[in-house]
Amino acid sequence: MALVPVKIEKDGKWLVGRIDLQQDSMNVVEPFKAAIPYKSVIDLEEKKNILIVTVKGDPPVIYRIASVEKVLQAMKRFIAMSCSAYRLMAYFMSPAVRGGVMVTNATWEKGAIAVLKSTIWFVSQNKQVSVALKEVTSMEITKKEVQKNQVDVLKLDHMENTDVVTSYVLCPLSTLQILINFLKDATKDLEITGEELDPVAAQVGMLIYSGMDSHAIEKMLNIPYKNLDEVYEKLLKLGMAEVTQVRREVQLTPKGVRFITESVKPPT
Amino acid sequence: MGRILIVDDTLFMRTLLKNILFSGGHDIVGEAGDGDEAIAKYQELKPDLVTMDVVMPKVNGIEALKGIRAIDPNAKVVMCTAVGQEQMVKLAIKTGAKGYIVKPFQAPKVLEEIKNVLSS
Repeated sequence: MALVPVKIEKDGKWLVGRIDLQQDSMNVVEPFKAAIPYKSVIDLEEKKNILIVTVKGDPPVIYRIASVEKVLQAMKRFIAMSCSAYRLMAYFMSPAVRGGVMVTNATWEKGAIAVLKSTIWFVSQNKQVSVALKEVTSMEITKKEVQKNQVDVLKLDHMENTDVVTSYVLCPLSTLQILINFLKDATKDLEITGEELDPVAAQVGMLIYSGMDSHAIEKMLNIPYKNLDEVYEKLLKLGMAEVTQVRREVQLTPKGVRFITESVKPPT
Repeated sequence: MGRILIVDDTLFMRTLLKNILFSGGHDIVGEAGDGDEAIAKYQELKPDLVTMDVVMPKVNGIEALKGIRAIDPNAKVVMCTAVGQEQMVKLAIKTGAKGYIVKPFQAPKVLEEIKNVLSS
């Protein structure tokens, strides 16, 4: 159907090659030969414009493929629509909210939802959105106004790089319930069980969510760093946060003080 | 950069928004804790933009928006709604809100929305 240029990883090296994209399979023709029937694909991930295709086998075979956006779009659509996955026809809107701000040009896309081993795919003719299951932060069935009617939708909050994004799925309620049960099961590791945060820790969490750093949090909540560090420790223990950087506070030695004092003296 | 009035009934959210907007180079000209105070402060301070919480005691955000629009039909008001109050968004837009953000929010996106509304 179409011979497309790609870069494909082999033994840790990226090689220039070509893939023959067909309706039911894609075949690597260069730099090595491999036939990949879409039905044999058990997982499909996307990381920074690289498609990671996992094919059934013992052990499974993983292909990492990079190419131009147009080629990747076609691959994603073919694979997501034909691979081994739980799939349902639905309308989706993704992203609908990004970082708390409504996406003004968000529209409902008619397509399919494919739930794979590690990723959910929203697929339509023009749009393919992947959401890694480990990046899903919450999900619920809620009401949303669609064409002046309040209808049941699945609201899915997930991370996209560092942004918190909300997407919606619209399909019959019974299907939504199957989907949410599946997703709840697939993301049960992320559930918070019984560990309640005290009000200060919850406020710290909210401030981190909003992008505040330690200095800003200390000032806003008027708490000493020692207390803030204890909250951080709690969040880390609960797996609710991770360390991004450790900042140091220093004071000048006599040598440093001498340098500064000298530097502000007027030139003689 | 704009002169901004922050309206929210919780000190915590006001402080958070103040920090975010200040870091974006905006000037926070005032704060209000309910809708009545928001209308009075708008008249007094004539800010370039208002961030308005929807759910507040006494006069809520939608009513305050109406009050502000009665004073200044071109007022730029960005509504802040909590998760699950998205239905309020439509009402706010009908009433004349220029933008909306959903709590919890992330600083860069809030600044983007404020910038868009200020330049509209």
